Amino acid sequence: MLRSPLWLASSACLLLLSVEQRASAQSATGSSPQQATPLFGRHVVPLFSRLGCNAGLCHGAVQGKNGFRLSLFGVEPALDHERLVREAGGRRLNLEDPAASLLLLKATGQVKHEGGKRLGAGSQEYQLLHDWIDRGASRDAPEQGRVRQLTATPARQTLKPGQSCQMRVEATFADGSVEDVTNLCSFESRDTVVAEVNRAGLIRASSPGDAAVVARFCAQPVMSIVLVPAEARGDFPRVPENNFIDRHLFDKLRQLQVPSSDVCDDATFLRRATLDVTGALPTPDEVRAFQADPAPEKRSKKIEELLARPGYSALWATKFCDILRPRISYQDFTHQPAPASTRRFYEWIRARLQENTPYDEMVERMLTATSLDGRTRDEWIREVLEQTEQDQAGARDNSSKYAQRKSLDLYWHRFDTTGVKGAVQVAHAFLGLRLQCAQCHRHPTDVWTQDDLLSFANFFSRVRANTGVLSVKDAAEIKKKAGGALTAEEKKKLQDEGKELANQAKQLQDQAKGKDKAEAEKIQREAKQLQDRSGAIGRAVAILDCSQVYHAPGNPFGWASVTSPLGTQQSEQFRFLGEKQAVALAGDQDPRPLVVAWMRQPENPFFAKAIVNRVWAHYFERGLVEPVDDLSPLNPPSHPELLRELCAGFVASKYDLQWLHRTILHSRAYQLSYRTHAGNQGDTRNFASFYRRRLSAEVFLDALNHATGSSEKFGATVLPGARALEVPVSVLDGAVGSKFVEYTFTVFGRPTRNTEALCDCDRETRPALLQSLYLANHPEVLKKINDPKGRVAQIVKDHADDARRIDETYLWTLSRPPTEAERQICLDYLKKSPSPQKGLEGLMWTLLNTSEFLLNH
Amino acid sequence: MNLGCQSFRNSLNRREMLQVGGVGLFGMTWANLFQAQAQAAAASKATAKQVIFIWLHGGPPHQDTFDMKPDAPADVRGPFKPIQTVVPGLEVCEHLPRLAKLANKYSVLRSVHSKGYPEAGDHHAGLSWKTGNPRGLRGTPKYPMIGCVTSKLLPTPKEVPSFVALGNINSHATGLSENFLGPAYDPLSIPDDRRDDQTERMLTPPQLDLAGFDRNVDMLRSLEQQIRRQDAASPIIEGLDRFQQKAFDLLRAPKLREALDLEKEPAKNRERYGCQIQHYGNTNIKGNYHCRKVLMARRLIEAGVPFVYVDFAYWDWHSGNGLDKALPDLACLDAALPSLLEDLDARGLLENTMVVALGEMGRTPKVGQGKPYGREHWAAAQFVLVAGGGFQSGQVVGATDAHAAYVKDKDYKIASLGKTLYHLLGIDPDHELLTPDNRPLKLITEDVPLIKEVIA
Repeated sequence: MLRSPLWLASSACLLLLSVEQRASAQSATGSSPQQATPLFGRHVVPLFSRLGCNAGLCHGAVQGKNGFRLSLFGVEPALDHERLVREAGGRRLNLEDPAASLLLLKATGQVKHEGGKRLGAGSQEYQLLHDWIDRGASRDAPEQGRVRQLTATPARQTLKPGQSCQMRVEATFADGSVEDVTNLCSFESRDTVVAEVNRAGLIRASSPGDAAVVARFCAQPVMSIVLVPAEARGDFPRVPENNFIDRHLFDKLRQLQVPSSDVCDDATFLRRATLDVTGALPTPDEVRAFQADPAPEKRSKKIEELLARPGYSALWATKFCDILRPRISYQDFTHQPAPASTRRFYEWIRARLQENTPYDEMVERMLTATSLDGRTRDEWIREVLEQTEQDQAGARDNSSKYAQRKSLDLYWHRFDTTGVKGAVQVAHAFLGLRLQCAQCHRHPTDVWTQDDLLSFANFFSRVRANTGVLSVKDAAEIKKKAGGALTAEEKKKLQDEGKELANQAKQLQDQAKGKDKAEAEKIQREAKQLQDRSGAIGRAVAILDCSQVYHAPGNPFGWASVTSPLGTQQSEQFRFLGEKQAVALAGDQDPRPLVVAWMRQPENPFFAKAIVNRVWAHYFERGLVEPVDDLSPLNPPSHPELLRELCAGFVASKYDLQWLHRTILHSRAYQLSYRTHAGNQGDTRNFASFYRRRLSAEVFLDALNHATGSSEKFGATVLPGARALEVPVSVLDGAVGSKFVEYTFTVFGRPTRNTEALCDCDRETRPALLQSLYLANHPEVLKKINDPKGRVAQIVKDHADDARRIDETYLWTLSRPPTEAERQICLDYLKKSPSPQKGLEGLMWTLLNTSEFLLNH
Repeated sequence: MNLGCQSFRNSLNRREMLQVGGVGLFGMTWANLFQAQAQAAAASKATAKQVIFIWLHGGPPHQDTFDMKPDAPADVRGPFKPIQTVVPGLEVCEHLPRLAKLANKYSVLRSVHSKGYPEAGDHHAGLSWKTGNPRGLRGTPKYPMIGCVTSKLLPTPKEVPSFVALGNINSHATGLSENFLGPAYDPLSIPDDRRDDQTERMLTPPQLDLAGFDRNVDMLRSLEQQIRRQDAASPIIEGLDRFQQKAFDLLRAPKLREALDLEKEPAKNRERYGCQIQHYGNTNIKGNYHCRKVLMARRLIEAGVPFVYVDFAYWDWHSGNGLDKALPDLACLDAALPSLLEDLDARGLLENTMVVALGEMGRTPKVGQGKPYGREHWAAAQFVLVAGGGFQSGQVVGATDAHAAYVKDKDYKIASLGKTLYHLLGIDPDHELLTPDNRPLKLITEDVPLIKEVIA
């Protein structure tokens, strides 16, 4: 029998019970009527949480509220007790006359309380506080209040609309005792359309779908899943399954009685898959050939073909750069962007994707990177020297050599890659976790504590790295702590080389005197080259001297600590996220490989899941876990078994990214039409139809150029003829090409890759006014349409027949031929146009302004 | 069904969304949704409907303008003499004669300052002034500018944008344009250099003639109808349609274009606003581009734009820079601001239009050692000028000490000014917005009082 105090009469599951029945059920199951003593840490503090007293906007605020401060979410019961009992001249509690305690008078609104009335006089909650004060307002032993485990029952429940069920929460405390704490929890439904929950934890199903209901005891959450099927409409349609993805998705749809949409037609599939895999539109020839191909397995063949195209690696290199934010700016300590380094970063990632390097290996080669990369110091020095010379000469294609390096030391040249901030980045990028809040306090809707974050951060605190924010002073500080990069000898040798080159240049210039003009100019040019090389050496010395990445033995940068308005905290152990045991490190071992080994364990709860969920979300518009970068244990996946099987398959494939893409693309679910029907219109998270989305900024610009037969110059970081998707730098680095490209990227939401916003949502995917205005009337867009060498002019020249011209224009924009009705509308329009060219320009403008063009559907 | 970013999806939970307007989610347009948010946020009764936020780019010295200390030693009181205004007890700089005559139309706050805020006195306190919250260059939430918030929470006007910025929004507020609300609420920005501005180029009459444009739009509608006959409504399509409709409205309606076109304004008005004053600044731009922005702001307010931001003049009054560079700032201010107040008043717009003018900081009590005259950065005191839209006029709030160094009466933080602006707009300053990582943040996060002395 659970110990359950009288004022917390527990109740059994109330499924389908009426109010009267509920009352009797309560008295029937009410546990032993023993009068237990309310405990401060176990009962009073959780009650403060339930009532919202210690929330960030009330007394949990850093400065408290109206002179009364509680620890945020009750994480420090000892402090809370102290403040309650001792502060305000002891007026908060009246041990002689508990009812006259300011605490109760305020909470019941009998005395003016800015937070309003939080509880009724005489309520169970009131009684608890009253009893506690009455019994001396003492503090319990910490282990009596420390929760070891929380359990919610039922963990999973299927309800019909209108049905109810009581959620119960049971806590096991550090002292071994178990107690029903339902009445001390707060409750929240993650989808109130599907199911609502009241203050007592009574869940009521409203409409079809599924929802998680979260209960919180103090700061700790636990949840219960509710499934609400729709009314069955005759026999549920059976649809073929292409692979296990379909089995899981369609199983759940069957449980929910929500039938899926039909499979999309061939032209839609081709456009969708080509955009999703390669970020480009298919050509008219490709559309025609695909439509005409009678082979039943043509979609599978196309998937393979698409995955082998260069667009695949460009698209995913862009995605990884969105996540990793390689805005590198160390050169000369000027904080000026170093776009060439950013490009090398991008090209390194792209090369791995092209080779289809196993994902775990790719991550390993980033996280454990060193500048030496297993070579001699001299080889490394020569590498940087050569890069600097090439960058100075403005060579565009000098990343291929860097791309073949084993490890990506530029990973550690990004902003904030080490210590606590570095750990937050790793958690976001590779584990799909959000730890930002834990820098100051326990995350209010998550499980992470400051100690979790700090103990994880210690793994990243012993890297000697250039973290992108180095000033000369910072660099000197790092050198002092963990050693400089260049030895005095190396430095001297390089400087001598530089001087020698400068001397040679000088001598040449002297020779030029008295020579005829042409000859003198030639010599001057040579001298200039030598001078440039000499200058490059100077610059390379500065970079070499500050930017070498290696494991710094000892603990030169100290233990991870955070200071916030709530105080300073430090951890002196190495512990992985979600693990209870700390890891022992042998001597001066580099901790980074341990992180990779931990990630690689097949049962690691985050590593495979994070990338699997991101890839899924790319194809399905929402993750199996959503938001996609919030794999918190409290943010359950919509299809846990599917996610598990996908992860297991991905791990079994040896982290083969292309296996993952292929498996998803082959599923029937991916190939469903966006078109809904009466039975699945309301579905927003079970993938009953294809969810449409706007083209991303780069893909949009490429599509615009594809449709209008034009191109852009994308600046010095790409080769001529490159696509927008191949631009490695952010607009903040100022090297994306023209003002127009920069404007397009900004208006259509290419992320700036600012380190402050660690969120996948940094890429803006929403429609916006300026986008509509842009398509309707940006002069550059109109210029593309009206270009005498552009697509419209070409179509007019190549085809004499209006119908054919219309077909071609459709194929170049919407990647499908028009329907008969559409063709007729367009024919009428063209007839009334002053000239074929003018008419087709109008048609091109119109098609570019349709939602069909702007969306992947 | 996807509405993009988490912050948006969470801004109303689905239950609320279904209830808005009494129609189902799929019948609801984005316009409904925005209206609903406006209602959700409205707490107090609005006394202001429109705002002109004039950002005195730099640090206008308070002791040389609206907080003169004629009795202080020479190296404190500086080179200017005070003149009496029409408001007893308020003296202003001798170079502000028109503002002196008009002092009953505005109030001066002498006790709101930026000390204690991130980067205060160091070029970036604009991040806090323009958002009403302690925003630094790094490590603080990316609070949105007040105009972005009003774009989200106030009703959306027809045929004009919700928020227009004239000049650089990021001036003395690096990175401000990035904020957690995302770009949907960004201002329509018109840069100082209007040649080749991308946004303005999009706004100019369609390169296609209007008849041709309408014909194309007709065809667009027919074709969209074809495809959508079979489609259920969806929020993403509703969103696209809404923005497209607004875009077409902007192109067809001359309101915004005409407001931006100063050729439509009588020449004598351009002169009244000071457009002929020779001024320093971006030498690539012909003429005085500061004063004409204030005139443009008035025209935008008349056209119905709810929030106009103006980046104004160049208050870089360091010692060594001298009066040659300083005096044009005063001349511009004394031409543009009184003209604006007069015009708004004459048109009956001042009552509902808030005008706020302030810089990032004040300047040091002592004039700098370098010659010629100038003063250095000083965050502990400055002036804020407020008028119209529910503000009391003819008031002086707060006081600094004998050397105009520290506030000695009615000390207010930046947040109090932000809170007061929201209050007068009828927006609850405690209304919560969600950041992309789902952190709820009040419009004004600090627990501060309203500036009651200046509320009418």
